[in-house]
Amino acid sequence: MKTVALLLALSSSAFAIDDVKTNTLQNGMKVLVQEDHNIPNVAMYFFYKIGSRNERPGTTGVSHFFEHMMFNGSKKYGPKKFDNEMEKAGGNNNAYTSRDVTVYTDWFPSAALELMFDMESDRIRDLAFDPKIIESERGVVYSERRTSVDNSNFGTLYEQLGASAFTAHPYHWPVVGWPSDIEGWTMDDLKAHFKTGYAPNNCVMVIVGDTTEAQVMALAKKYLEPIPRQDPPPPVRTKEPEQRGERRVTVRKQAQLPIQMVAYHVPETKAADETVLDVFDAILTEGQSCRLYKRLVDTDQLAISVGGSLQPSLDPGLYVFTVQPRTGVETSKTEAALFEEIAKIQATPVSADELRKAKNQLLAANFRQLKTIAGRANLLGTYEVFKGDYRKLFTLEQDVEAVTAADIQRVAKKYFTADNRTIATLVPASAAASMPEVK
Amino acid sequence: MRIVMTLLSFASLLVADVRLPKYTRQQLPNGVVVFLVPVSGVPLVSFRVVVKGGFEGESETQTGVAQMAAQLLRRGTTTRTADQFSNELDSLGGSFNATANEEETLVTSEFLKKDFNRGLELTADAVLHASFPETEFQKTLARTIDGVRSIKDNPQGSMPLYYRAFYYGPKHPYGRVSDDVTLARLKRTDLAEYQARLYAGKNMIVVVSGDFDIGVAGPAIAKVFGSAPAGTEYKWLPEQPVPKGRRLLLIDKPDATQTYFNIGQPGLRRTDPDRTAVLLINTLFGGRFTSLLNDELRVNTGLTYGARSYYDQHRDTGGVVISTYTRTETTEKAMDLALDILDRLVTKGITADQLASAKAYVKGTYPPQHLETSDQTAAMVSDIELFGLNRGEVDDLFSRIDAVTLDQANATARKYFGGKDLTFVVIGNAAKIRDTMKKYAPDVRELPAKSPGFR
Repeated sequence: MKTVALLLALSSSAFAIDDVKTNTLQNGMKVLVQEDHNIPNVAMYFFYKIGSRNERPGTTGVSHFFEHMMFNGSKKYGPKKFDNEMEKAGGNNNAYTSRDVTVYTDWFPSAALELMFDMESDRIRDLAFDPKIIESERGVVYSERRTSVDNSNFGTLYEQLGASAFTAHPYHWPVVGWPSDIEGWTMDDLKAHFKTGYAPNNCVMVIVGDTTEAQVMALAKKYLEPIPRQDPPPPVRTKEPEQRGERRVTVRKQAQLPIQMVAYHVPETKAADETVLDVFDAILTEGQSCRLYKRLVDTDQLAISVGGSLQPSLDPGLYVFTVQPRTGVETSKTEAALFEEIAKIQATPVSADELRKAKNQLLAANFRQLKTIAGRANLLGTYEVFKGDYRKLFTLEQDVEAVTAADIQRVAKKYFTADNRTIATLVPASAAASMPEVK
Repeated sequence: MRIVMTLLSFASLLVADVRLPKYTRQQLPNGVVVFLVPVSGVPLVSFRVVVKGGFEGESETQTGVAQMAAQLLRRGTTTRTADQFSNELDSLGGSFNATANEEETLVTSEFLKKDFNRGLELTADAVLHASFPETEFQKTLARTIDGVRSIKDNPQGSMPLYYRAFYYGPKHPYGRVSDDVTLARLKRTDLAEYQARLYAGKNMIVVVSGDFDIGVAGPAIAKVFGSAPAGTEYKWLPEQPVPKGRRLLLIDKPDATQTYFNIGQPGLRRTDPDRTAVLLINTLFGGRFTSLLNDELRVNTGLTYGARSYYDQHRDTGGVVISTYTRTETTEKAMDLALDILDRLVTKGITADQLASAKAYVKGTYPPQHLETSDQTAAMVSDIELFGLNRGEVDDLFSRIDAVTLDQANATARKYFGGKDLTFVVIGNAAKIRDTMKKYAPDVRELPAKSPGFR
C-alpha cells in the first residue's frame, strides 16, 4: 500500500496564523489571543519561564511548591478565595511545573474574564505568605511526591534515570524536589523564588476562546500592565558535560515486574534536530505498526509495553525509552532488542512509505491537540516559550515535510550511541537477592 | 483602542443554555441505530460504535471476554492481518480505541475528513469482521495477564479494580473483574461466542460526528453497517441487590508509605430522576477543588494531595465513592475525617450559597467538558440512546439544575450520602494499619497485593 501525504493544510482550517493576535504590555508581558466562539468559555494560560532548572541544591522543588502557594491567598483575594470565587463563577483551574516552566491554567465562562484578570494580577503582584499555610501545603506536596515518585515504580525509576544522566546541569534533580528539601524549604526560599521568576517580563499569557482581542487587551492594561518589570531569573550557567560512556543505575524495589528506561542526551527543543527527533520517535514508538511495538511487544513478546518520550526543554534534554518486560524476561533481552532496532535505523535508511506514515501520525496527533481551546492555548504557549515563536506551530507541516530519510539516519547515529546512553533498571526486590550484579 | 466591555458585575455571571447540535437518527433494517451529528470546526470525523452488553453480557465463566474481544478487534479480520490493519490506520494518522465497560463495548476512531471512506471501512472491518486469530489471542492474553501483575505494583491503578470486585461482589456482573486468574481460563472460542451473541445489528449504535458530508455519510454508513447480521436483541439483566452493612477489604502492600482508601455506598442508576440533584451534591461534597472533602483533607490539614468523591453512572445501581490517600502514619486521622465530613454533610446540610455555587460551577464547566469536540457530542448522543434518554438530557440540563431546591438538595444528600452501608477498600502497609481497620467494620478481609486475582 502506498502511503500518501496527510495535507492537513492547517492554514485553511478553523485555525490560521492570522487568527492569533499578539501584543506586548509595557512591562514586557507578551499576550497571545485567539478568538473562538464555539463554546461560551475561555482558556487563560500563564507561562512563567521558571522551573526546577532555576533552582539550586537545598531548595530543589521550590518552583513546584511555589506553584501550590499561588492558590493560597494574596492581598485582595485571601486564602481559598481564588478557587472559591472561580468555581462560584463556573470556572476551574490547574497548574503545572516542569523543569523549565510554571504554567497556570484557567478555564471559565467568558463572563468571568474580568474576575480572572483581577485575581490573577492580585496573586502575581501581592502574594501572601502565611507560615501556617506553608506548613500545611508542605504536607500536600510531600503527599504528591509519595504518590508520583515513592509509591510509583515508574516515578522512582524516572527520578534515578534523570539523576544519573545529568551530573552537573539542574535537570539532575526532580521537579517535585528531593525529600529533604521538601522538609527544609523556608519562607525566605519562597520569597526569593517569587522575586526571581514572577516578573511580567518573564511571562507569556495565552487566551483562547469566547472573547475578543480588544476585551483582553483592555483588561490586560488595567490589571496586568501596572505590575512593574523586574530582572528576569539569572541565566542557567551550568552546561552538562558530554557523556563519555554508558551509565547504569539499578533500583531495587518491591515489584511484580521489572521496568527499564534508556535515556540519550539530545538537544533542546529550539534546535534544528528537534523535528527530526519527533519523526524518529514516531517511527520507533507510535501506534501498533511502529518498529519497537512490532519487535518487542508483538513478534518477540518480550515486553508488555514500550514507549518513547521527548519532553520540551530549554536546555539540552533527554530522549527516553521506557520498556516494561514480560514476566520472566530478563532485562538484558529487552535492552538487546532495543539496541538492535536502533542499530537497524542507523544502518539502513527508512523507506519512503514508513517515513510518510510517521509524518502523518505526527501531524495528525498535533492536529488533535487543536480541537479544544485548552489544547490550543497550551500548544501556542509551549511553542512560544520552547521554540521561541508561536508561529512555528503554523510551519510545523512544512518543517515535518522537510525531514528526509537521511536526516533520520544522521540523528540516529549522532545521538543514539552507547556512550551517550543511561540505562536505569528497576529490579523486583524479591528477585534481587538471587540476582547477580547487572553487567 | 476602543474599549468594548461587558458591564456585568462578578455576581451575575450569566451562562446561556446549552444545546446538543442538530442530529439525525435512523434505524437500519437490521436494527443498527445510526446517528449523524455534523459539527463544524476542525476537519476531523469521528466514529463511535456501541455494542450493548459489556461486562453484564458476559456469562459467569467468561469474565474478561468483553474487554479481550474489544482489544482483539484490530488484531486480525477476515480480510486483514493485524499488521495490515495497524499499517493502514497509522498511515492515515487515524486513531482507534476499543474497550468494554459495565454495559457496552465501545469503539471510537477518528480520521481526517478526507479519509472518511477509508476510516469508516477500517472501523467497520474491526467491529463486524474481527476473526480473533489464535496466535493473536494467545499473545494478547499473556500480555494482559502480565498487565494485571504490573498494575498491582501501582496502588492508584489497582484501587478501582480491587474496589469494584469487593464492592459489588462475585455474584454481581459489575463485580466480576477480570484478573490473572479469570483471564487464564479464557479461550478463543469464548471471544467468538461473545461476538456472535452480542455484535449484532439489534445491539449496535453507530454515531458519526464532526466534519463530514451528510449526504454521502448516510448511505455509506447504511451500506457498511447494514450488512451486520440482525441477531438477537440483548436483554438487560434484572436489577441486582446493593451491598448492605459495613465491610472492609485490606490489601497488604508492605512497601507502601501511603495508605490509599475508597469508601463506597449505594448510589443510583444513570437514568435516576435524582441524578441532577446528586450531580450538585457530589460537586459540593467531593467533585471539585473547593469541595468539602478536598478542603478539609488537603487545604486545611495537608493530609493528602487530593480527596474526591464520584458516583457510578451505569444502567444498574452503582456506588457513591470517597477516594483519597495519605501517609501511613495519618491513615486513621484521614479516614476518620472523611467519615466526619460525610456525617456533617447529612446532619448539617448545605446552604443556599453553596447550592448556588455548585449550580454555577456545573453550568460553567459543562460546555468544555461535554460539548466542545465532536467526540464529546458523540458520547452524549450514544449514551442517550443506550440508556433510553432523549436530547433533553442536555437541552434541559440547565433548567433541571435551576429547579433543584435547597430542600431537595439536602434530602438527596441524606438519601445517597447517609453512610449507613459502607464498603471500605484500603491498600497499604497492613502491619502498621491492620489494628486500626477493625474500628471501621466488623468484618475485615485481608489480601496480599502480590497474591493472584483481585479477590
